[in-house]
Amino acid sequence: MSDNSSNRIVIPLGPQHPALKEPGSFTLTLEGEKVVNAVIGIGYNHRGLEKALESRTYIQNLYMIERICGICSHTHSVAYCQAIEEMCGVEIPMRAKYIRVIIAELERLHSHLLWLGVAAHEIGFDTLFMYAWRDREMVLDMLAELCGNRVNYGINTLGGVRRDIDDNDAHEIKKILRVLHNQISYYLELATNEPTLIARLADVGKLNHDDALKFGAVGPVARAAGIANDVRKIEPYAAYDEVPVNVITDDHGDVLGRTLVRVKEMLESISIIRYCLDNLPAGEILAKVPRKVPAGEMISRTEAPRGENIHYINSDGSDIPYRIRVRAPSEANWHGMKHMLEGSFLADVPIAIAAIDPCYSCTDRAIFVNSDNGESRLYDWKGLREYSIKWHRDRGLNIADIQIPMAKNYIQIQRKTND
Amino acid sequence: MIEALTALFKILIFPGFMFLTTYGMLLQFLDRKIYARLQNRFGPPWYQPLADFLKLIGKETIVPTLANKGMFSTLPVVSLAAVSTAFVYIPIYRMQASFSFEGDLIIVLYLMALPSITTFLAGWYSRSVYATIGSVRTLTQLFAYEVPLFAALLSPSIISGSWSISGMAEFYYHNPTLILVNLPSMFIALISIQGKLARKPFDSPEAETEIVSGAFVEYSGRLLAIFKMSVDCELVLLISLAAAIYIPLFTNIIVLDILLYFAKTLVLLFALSIFKAAMARLRMDQIINFCWKVLTPLAMFQIIINLIVRGAL
Amino acid sequence: MNNEEIIVSKIFDRFEFARDKIHVQKRLRIISDPFSREEFEQIIEYLHDELGFKIAHHIVGIDYGEDLGFIYMLGNDEHIIFALKEKVSKENPEINSMTKYYPSLLMHELELVDLFGAIVKDLPDVPSYPLPDGWPKGNHPMRKDWNPAYFDHKTMTYNPPAKEVKEDEKQ
Repeated sequence: MSDNSSNRIVIPLGPQHPALKEPGSFTLTLEGEKVVNAVIGIGYNHRGLEKALESRTYIQNLYMIERICGICSHTHSVAYCQAIEEMCGVEIPMRAKYIRVIIAELERLHSHLLWLGVAAHEIGFDTLFMYAWRDREMVLDMLAELCGNRVNYGINTLGGVRRDIDDNDAHEIKKILRVLHNQISYYLELATNEPTLIARLADVGKLNHDDALKFGAVGPVARAAGIANDVRKIEPYAAYDEVPVNVITDDHGDVLGRTLVRVKEMLESISIIRYCLDNLPAGEILAKVPRKVPAGEMISRTEAPRGENIHYINSDGSDIPYRIRVRAPSEANWHGMKHMLEGSFLADVPIAIAAIDPCYSCTDRAIFVNSDNGESRLYDWKGLREYSIKWHRDRGLNIADIQIPMAKNYIQIQRKTND
Repeated sequence: MIEALTALFKILIFPGFMFLTTYGMLLQFLDRKIYARLQNRFGPPWYQPLADFLKLIGKETIVPTLANKGMFSTLPVVSLAAVSTAFVYIPIYRMQASFSFEGDLIIVLYLMALPSITTFLAGWYSRSVYATIGSVRTLTQLFAYEVPLFAALLSPSIISGSWSISGMAEFYYHNPTLILVNLPSMFIALISIQGKLARKPFDSPEAETEIVSGAFVEYSGRLLAIFKMSVDCELVLLISLAAAIYIPLFTNIIVLDILLYFAKTLVLLFALSIFKAAMARLRMDQIINFCWKVLTPLAMFQIIINLIVRGAL
Repeated sequence: MNNEEIIVSKIFDRFEFARDKIHVQKRLRIISDPFSREEFEQIIEYLHDELGFKIAHHIVGIDYGEDLGFIYMLGNDEHIIFALKEKVSKENPEINSMTKYYPSLLMHELELVDLFGAIVKDLPDVPSYPLPDGWPKGNHPMRKDWNPAYFDHKTMTYNPPAKEVKEDEKQ
């Protein structure tokens, strides 16, 4: 090794780089195409959420918590809500629990499809990238139909959920799920058969069973290494104690394994949603939760699309939390990164990074960063709203006229594209 | 005098430089459109390549401080010149190319290597880590696809007994059944062309998600426009060469032959675009393994077959 | 007796000082009261070496006013979360790095250094996390007495209004 040290070059991957969807810095020392050393720098996305949470009420924090991550916002708010509900001793209605599960699984679907697209792009398979993201639109629009929003759904509230699912919605969703099921089955076939895809994914970013335990990997990364680690099964929250959940594991321990786990999980999510829609109990969707939370502490966890998500909440008896600490799943998966990168090819670095589905915003949730650089203008909420309406009016759009597209339109689009 | 003017017309206008660049842009558009349609996207409008080119021409050209200024600005022109020179030896609208002599196939093959070498030098003289890695990959890839490509293009000449592209076209025009013997080498050539043009699955030298855009990462403005143009022209050159050697169908009526030429090149382009859409990017070591362990032996096998066929004639 | 209670009683048997300071909150949750630095280190070593708590989820820093608290979230094969707490005074917030048992805690310990001003012994020489470069020394934003309203983003300085505090005291 020391003989070749003169041939080494140091290449920066990030903080700005086409392979990274969010800022992160990877300083790689290369020997030819082999990575001999990797220095990982994260922390570019700190926004001061945890400090901000300590100065707002529990209800206000609900909105803040949803914005920890743009992709897995529901899982954070579920973890937060159920911790507070338990501290207050409130049992939420069964129907609300089922709706939480439905949204959680839709979120898993959209997160995994997003990942599939990003991963395909990292290995230069742009066709799969386009297909996966096209199908993800269907999921996002189902979410929009159920919650009124494509991301940051805002469906959870302390004590239950804010919107009900009626029979018409359920019927439309089932129709879209049928299309989605066919597409995802096709991706599964692709991941098991396409030779260039397998060539690029197999034996890349290896993290075997023991290493996954040592580095505390969670979610699909751990499950791809044969560890049946799934909070939905270990500690069933919401309605997962009634819904049949199969934990998908795989023993490849590499990126191919993670791909297979995620694709199979999507099929599993579809069957969970179908079960929930068929067995949706009747009744209320909201229970009353007091404004002040009794003093105490609670650790709550959920299974985010990326893995185990842990919330710690400490209350001093007032209506403002004393301390909230969020351990997002990406934070746990970072530790094995250096191990995965070193000894791999430069060409495999982007996919190895992408394979843990890193969410930089989740990881760096803690500190606040300056926003105004002198040039930017500050809008208050009203001003921002007026600006937005004007911006759209100028372009001939009236926001008030926009209707959320109904699911049947998507079926038609789907048919068209298939023809 | 008339002769000199005709020669100039052939070199500069048709089927020379003007035709080459225009058709290059058209093929770029078609390639992007087919690729987009295969991916369920709309793709660009027909004038997009021209718009891109004009926009780049109008942009500021930045030369990195560390780069060798002379080399940095000459290389794109060298690349374009090599491609345009090679193009005059390819038959377009009749069996006979604008210029030809015995052995022009070899000249074309060597001129074809020039763009790759200029790409390597361009990356090397840019003094950027991404460009350096990109240029090393370009050169490594050159060693991977060059042998199968040469073997595949030379094997038809063994049967025809002529080392001139026009001569080969004429021979196969008179012996159409022998085209079938060369079919395997056509596939080898098409795959190698994909590697030569650094298209998927062989786009490792300019892998966007790894090394941003490889050797061209420091290029901008006019110089980048010329480089992009030379890549487009290279596509036309290689497709026309493959069409002339492997699909030597002519009617001897000029207008029909030109239409036939478009048909042949579009079919080949379509094949290349499907290749591009259907695969993931291979890693450098996988490319080398594939080229040396699969493509080269196949090309050698084709040469042996062609030698036997030649003996039997 | 379920698993959680067995674990707790094992700790009680081993360490007399820990008796009644650790309790089972519910299924899969064990929460302790804050321990001093020496006591904490004995317990965490025992948990790691003998009770099979091989996973460390994260560390929660918490400002108790006079003291700083650190809650180590440990996990085992049965997916129990053990919240083991350590407490040090703000005057001397010195703790030992637990990366010898749990390598994955490195990032969380760096976070304690930046955000709570903990002094973690035996940390490897790595860049600081997560505060940006040029952050003023001695500013630990997650402490309760640090108010983001007094931080100037442009000059990266923290200017608490010293006068107002004095006037308040006079009154």
